[in-house]
Amino acid sequence: MKQTSTVGKSNKTVMVLLILGLSTIIFPLYMTVVIAFKQPSEMTNSISGILSLPKVWSLQNFKEAMEVTDFWNSLKNSLLISGLTVGLSILIHSLMGYTLGRNKSNKFYNFVYLFIVSGMFVPFAILMMPLAKQTAEMGLANWFGVILLYVVFYMPMNIMLYSGYLVNIPLALEEAARVDGASTWLTYWKIIFPIMKPMHATVAVITALAVWNDVMTPLIIMAGSSENTLPLAQLNFQSQFGTNYNLAFASYLLSLIPILVFYLICQKQILNGVVNGAVK
Amino acid sequence: MTKHENERKRTFLLITIPILALFICFNTIPLIRGAMYSFTNSRGFGSHDWVGLRNYIDLFSDARVGKSYLFTIKLALVTTVVVNVLSLILALGLNSKIKAKGFFRGAYFLPNILGALVVGYIFNYFFTYIVPALADMTGLEGLRSSILSSPNKAWIGVMIVCAWQAIAMNTIIYISGLQTVPEDVYEAGGLDGATGWKQFKHLTFPLIIPFFSINMVLCVKNFLMVFDQIIALTKGGPAQSTESISYLIYNNGMSGGQFGFQSANAVVFFIVIVVISVAQMKFSSSKEEQL
Amino acid sequence: MKRKGLRSLALAACLTALAPVVWGCGDASDGKIEVEIVQYKPEAANYFKTVEDAFNASHDDIHLTISSPNDAMAILKTRFIREDYPDIIGIGGDINYSYFVDADILADISGYEGMKDVNEGYLEIAEALELVPVDGTYILPYAANAAGVLYNREMFEEHGWQIPETWDEMLALCDEISAEGILPFYFGFKDTWTCLAPWNAMAVELAPSDTTKQVNKGQTTFTDEYGELAEKYMALLPYGPDDPFAYNYNDACTAFARGESAMYPIGSYAAPQILSVNPDLKMDSFVMPASDEKEGRTLNSGIDLGFCVTKDCKNKEAAYEVLDFLYADDTLQKYIDAQTSVPCKKGNFTLSTLLDGMTEFIASGNMTDYQDHYYPSEMSVDALLQTFLIEKDKDAFLKNFDTSWQRYNRDIIRMVQEYEAANGSTQ
Repeated sequence: MKQTSTVGKSNKTVMVLLILGLSTIIFPLYMTVVIAFKQPSEMTNSISGILSLPKVWSLQNFKEAMEVTDFWNSLKNSLLISGLTVGLSILIHSLMGYTLGRNKSNKFYNFVYLFIVSGMFVPFAILMMPLAKQTAEMGLANWFGVILLYVVFYMPMNIMLYSGYLVNIPLALEEAARVDGASTWLTYWKIIFPIMKPMHATVAVITALAVWNDVMTPLIIMAGSSENTLPLAQLNFQSQFGTNYNLAFASYLLSLIPILVFYLICQKQILNGVVNGAVK
Repeated sequence: MTKHENERKRTFLLITIPILALFICFNTIPLIRGAMYSFTNSRGFGSHDWVGLRNYIDLFSDARVGKSYLFTIKLALVTTVVVNVLSLILALGLNSKIKAKGFFRGAYFLPNILGALVVGYIFNYFFTYIVPALADMTGLEGLRSSILSSPNKAWIGVMIVCAWQAIAMNTIIYISGLQTVPEDVYEAGGLDGATGWKQFKHLTFPLIIPFFSINMVLCVKNFLMVFDQIIALTKGGPAQSTESISYLIYNNGMSGGQFGFQSANAVVFFIVIVVISVAQMKFSSSKEEQL
Repeated sequence: MKRKGLRSLALAACLTALAPVVWGCGDASDGKIEVEIVQYKPEAANYFKTVEDAFNASHDDIHLTISSPNDAMAILKTRFIREDYPDIIGIGGDINYSYFVDADILADISGYEGMKDVNEGYLEIAEALELVPVDGTYILPYAANAAGVLYNREMFEEHGWQIPETWDEMLALCDEISAEGILPFYFGFKDTWTCLAPWNAMAVELAPSDTTKQVNKGQTTFTDEYGELAEKYMALLPYGPDDPFAYNYNDACTAFARGESAMYPIGSYAAPQILSVNPDLKMDSFVMPASDEKEGRTLNSGIDLGFCVTKDCKNKEAAYEVLDFLYADDTLQKYIDAQTSVPCKKGNFTLSTLLDGMTEFIASGNMTDYQDHYYPSEMSVDALLQTFLIEKDKDAFLKNFDTSWQRYNRDIIRMVQEYEAANGSTQ
């Protein structure tokens, strides 16, 4: 009896501490929402002025912010780039991961594996200037070039994930199909690809989060093309908000909303995916 | 059988070559080109001359570059320690028997999905206006002025924002580590009278060391490459005290006229990252073997 | 060879897979000549939007696009790295212009008709910006700005404060204002570039206008030329807010607009921003006095915006037609109204009342270009200044200025000295 009561007590302390800790996350978000809805005249320097709710819940700031940052177009670009990158990554990286994972004993493939995986250490800083030149020479200074670059940047990580996962898939499965006369290519798509579904989810989540929030690549590749992604639009229009912090915050909030909604819906899958990716 | 073998080999080769070519085209070739620019005085546009090792010699005598390395490494180390300590504590809390576990985990992970740039902008406003206003009310003298305006303290602001986002990820990894620790380990430990800190130090922590090393590698690498937070919070200021290496390379290499010189900086940065990462992995694998 | 073939095969495969999407984005060209301008003043974005609309409405054969991105210089340089040149670029008369001329990116537009109407003073300024003298003209100076001190006229009238004409009067005025419990200056030093405004405004009086060129020729050092300037800059600091490094340009404009300070040492370009916060503010400007002689004063003014045609521009005629439109008196008048700037074109223009305190200098041509127009951007003199203002170590600052200058300008110095050796000293 005594034992359980101390456990119950310590759990309560843990709960209280967790709730307190949560405020460090909730408070900035709360302030963001409140500031985004307020009018400049409501911004005072007193505590009550800072913390209080807006007098009117008007969407005017959001409407204006959407116009300034060309929100829908940026959203479209962000969705397009993230979606296509994820799709291509799953197709290309799983195929490559499979090929390299199944040929670990072969010197050539092992070398290719190490060669690609070591690409993880290459900081973007060294690639950005040559890539700005190169993508332009190849006519890829647009969102398509950005997608291609993402497919290359996330290749090391994703190939490592896929070929690691492949260890769990017995060779016997493929051999059975081969006996039936199916080609390696078909066997892969019919049998192996569907089995790797949990890894697809992981790759999709990790790649999507990274691509969605990335500023550097589109900044360098698409600079001046008047096309923005959501984060890039924030960077490019930051100065146009001037001192109207309310407008700026409305815009920040707008750029956060899509990913927040996505997170609320697929929270479990995202958490699992991220953990799988990091731990594998 | 040999027919099958051949078909299999051919398929693998046909898959590997184009994908490898794509990788070489957008990773290896630019890497080599970047290294080549480091031997020129290129401004990025217009003509340029070969200058041999001049950029590298300059690099090691350039106080500004040296300062940016010191800042970046200091930031990476301190943030890594702060993040790991806090997220380990948080993970222990979230892994204990509490109500609404799922909710808490979900909520604590939230910062990680938000874009660093926008988070930086939001915190920028906080540090400049809200924190000093709150400090004014509560009489906290030290926080009256924005920490981003002081060359000695601005890095703390950057660290807070980096940590705020990174803790989420590390916590989740520690939680999955803690879940691999079987219950009976604690039961056996309980018999020996190991509780609290002792239990953690001697029983729990050794078992989650692999997760600890993952977190270390992830943290150090990410923080060494810090860029978005700098752009959003300080733009390298005040007094150039928060110029991270990536920021300096972008700012002086792309917008400034130091394409060649900053290429040399990027090459050195690449080597530094490789050395640190390899050392870390060697270190953690030797630790794991000891256990 | 084989590998290259395969690579393109792989690319082709990806491209075909995505072809429907790619086609969806292609823009329909309707036979018009496309002219693209990238100009570097985001605060003038609205003005250029109306120019773009007006131009396209009145021209059937040319379609004009003007973009006014944030951090345009980074974008322009990135595009130059990619060898993707806009037809016309709108930039300031600063070191970037010098670099672009040197890199042979810009076209010689001395044949353009409108050049005749340019105020010669600004053509001289543009010429001085060339690293080594080059034949031809590469920029059409459009509008100039002036840096000095903006002041709150109502506040000055109310207290009977006089416009200072010497350095001592300036300090006396600041003391007088402080004594009334009012903050004399506001600074927004979190944005490092704002540190340059008072610096430039005082430098025109305290240092030779060609200081940087003299240094490049090895005739002097910054330690010798900038000592007094640095000291006087430090003397202004106590008259600003407690923590000037916490606030950025926007914050400082807002604070001045709301009457939180009596003066704000910044360029005329800040006026639209300030008025957007408080449209009723009565403000005026005066030339920053930095020495003890009234007569020594000169207005700090340079080319704030000029247009350059790139060498790559396919259709020079079309580009000149666009320049004609931009340089028409009424278009230019609208610009100087919107941006409170000074036209670089000869003729009768109405200047903003905000420049009242500077008109006599403008009218008599007593103007000197900004020192910072000669500083290479990657040297970040603005950040050096910020460091100096925080640490207040004059000697370290000047020493650092000299060593950094030699490092960052090594190639330019070599070029200048080679030129001097080949052509004999021109001056």
